[in-house]
Amino acid sequence: MKRDHQDICGADGGGYGNSSGSKGESSITSKGKLWEEDQDAGDMDELMAVLGYKVRSSDMADVAQKMEQLDMAMGTAQEDGISHLAYDTVHYNPSDLSSWVQSMLTELNNPVLPNSDSNSSKPQQHQQIVSSNQSQVYNDDSEYDLRAIPGIAAYPQPKRIKTSMETDSSSSTTEPSTQPVVLVDSQEAGVRLVHTLMACAEAVQQENLKLADALVKHIGLLAASQAGAMRKVATYFAEALARRIYGVYPQDSLHPSYTDMLQMHFYETCPYLKFAHFTSNQAILEAFATSNRVHVIDFGLKQGMQWPALMQELALRPGGPPVFRLTGIGPHQPDNTDALQQVGCKLAYLAETIGVKFEFRGFMVNSLADLEPKMLDIRPPEVETLAVNSIFELHRLLARAGGIEKVLSSIKTMKPKILTIVEEEANHNSPVFVDRFTEALHYYSSLFDSLEVSGVVPPSSQDLVMSESYLGRQICNVVACEGVERVERHETLAQWRSRMKTSGFSPAHLGSNAYKQASMLLALFAGGDGYRVEENDGCLTLGWHTRPLIATSAWQVAATE
Amino acid sequence: MVQNHHRGCHHQDHQEIVRENKEKRPKFFINDHVDILIEILKRLDCRSLCVAASVCRLWCTIARNDSLWENLCFRHVSPPPSSLRSVVLALGGYKRLYMGCVRPVQSRLGRVRRASWARDEVQLSLSLFCVDYYERLGGGSSSNGRLVGESSPSSLMFLCKPVNV
Repeated sequence: MKRDHQDICGADGGGYGNSSGSKGESSITSKGKLWEEDQDAGDMDELMAVLGYKVRSSDMADVAQKMEQLDMAMGTAQEDGISHLAYDTVHYNPSDLSSWVQSMLTELNNPVLPNSDSNSSKPQQHQQIVSSNQSQVYNDDSEYDLRAIPGIAAYPQPKRIKTSMETDSSSSTTEPSTQPVVLVDSQEAGVRLVHTLMACAEAVQQENLKLADALVKHIGLLAASQAGAMRKVATYFAEALARRIYGVYPQDSLHPSYTDMLQMHFYETCPYLKFAHFTSNQAILEAFATSNRVHVIDFGLKQGMQWPALMQELALRPGGPPVFRLTGIGPHQPDNTDALQQVGCKLAYLAETIGVKFEFRGFMVNSLADLEPKMLDIRPPEVETLAVNSIFELHRLLARAGGIEKVLSSIKTMKPKILTIVEEEANHNSPVFVDRFTEALHYYSSLFDSLEVSGVVPPSSQDLVMSESYLGRQICNVVACEGVERVERHETLAQWRSRMKTSGFSPAHLGSNAYKQASMLLALFAGGDGYRVEENDGCLTLGWHTRPLIATSAWQVAATE
Repeated sequence: MVQNHHRGCHHQDHQEIVRENKEKRPKFFINDHVDILIEILKRLDCRSLCVAASVCRLWCTIARNDSLWENLCFRHVSPPPSSLRSVVLALGGYKRLYMGCVRPVQSRLGRVRRASWARDEVQLSLSLFCVDYYERLGGGSSSNGRLVGESSPSSLMFLCKPVNV
């Protein structure tokens, strides 16, 4: 296309010049053919048109790249004299920037010099300079082929300069596009970003690590041109991909109190955890309606933020509060502090304040599969009503074979009145890496989007950063880890449903009270318009706009005949 | 009152009327009748109550009385269970409940509020109030879930932020 353009310019000769004035389109009548070509090709960039240059918006990126190349080439070629550019080169139609730059580059690479002895050496020199520039820019060899990125939108192929540059096949055969280019159209850059991410994931899946490595670097550049949530998500995914490529799997050896702290910030900035707590509590309350002794087993006690609200509702129950027993499960602490006991003490203090009889026991286990029902001092259902609560804990069991089955059968032997499960609503457990990657990309993009809008006055940047870091660790785990280390094996509500049904549980529908409370809670959040509570066949999901993100479900042990 | 009489008795001298009325009528100062004052203040809304607290020391003391704020919390709902009072007082009192939770909740939900929600709003406020109390219990240790040296815990932070109304 550009070639033709240049030909037309050449054919019609000069004289077009800067007659375009303020609006390029309006003043062109002399070059009928040229004008038609332009019109067919699309909009001229208006800002450039004001300056008197005609550049198609779609060509802007290429023109920018070529300018960069030209800049570099001229900078390095200065010692050899580029005066020929000033005198001998014929400039046709300088207002048509793209072809002008093209012609400049062509001239520079293949200078048309008057016949002299130095002719033969100069072109070589120029070529060498340009090509050595190229090899300096990207010193990794082969296969740095951005054509791997699917789709023209990701990387339109400009016409290559047909110079002897191309004989240098040892350096990259691609266009010298590796220089950082500030892309004008950030939406287009966003599309490219996504395409590049996908291409990188493909490359990783095919074990083409060199290509993946090159693409990861490119992602970094593209991500810088984006703003807000997209940039953050892309950065986290790029980091995770890089870890996978280099084999630097993050160990899950962070102190649990650090991860607890990250989760606390996440708890405060957005409604997901609060939604999980309130909806589960509502289901548990309804199951406890008539009991005088109740027992809750919490599979992930952490800071115990779920239980004050439940205790308060129990305290205000008509007829007085029941005796409340809580068993909290947590991971081993590396420094042997008893974090569970400290949380238990706080809860006990609160219970005493509001007048609820309270007992607490804590169990430290490395995995829920290590739990034995005998350890937990389960009392018969006639004496004490049991509820089991799991918030974002069950999916970790899928990393080891047999884990989830063992836990579910343990739960069945405990005979709880209700089992509440909150899980992420996404399939991040596909054995195919690219599928997993794509799903995770969409899921965390929505999640980060919702964090971005969580208030007119945004939460303190520290809270936001911590929340994002909390999510970033999950991203890292989903993308970079494999085998038993990959614990963030999220599955969809449908998958959990079928698993629970085959394991011998029947669904308990969450009532309208839970729905009402959840809706009210979300309306309190400043970004409330974007959050959606939906009822899904007895389960409640919380989502951002059209995408459900977490799901609460309640289960009972199926009655066996 | 003085004015009515004044209008009714044109023929008498204005000054005389005033003097006479003052002698006949006992002086009425609201501050002498604290029970009436309390009844009046009980019916005020939040803003007026806060303004009233700035009038004088007596009014300030009365306005700070928690029972007034209890009325404010439960004005539009049926009377709460008796056990509620001890719980709320233990968690910090009605004024704190109202200012920290009930008021922001009611104002946020004002746009989408339905009549049936009034009780649930209070219920939700109570739950949030309890969570906030729990968080403020702190503990000081590293397992508190917060970095050392951070500002006070803020699970109600999302309520304090101004909303784009």
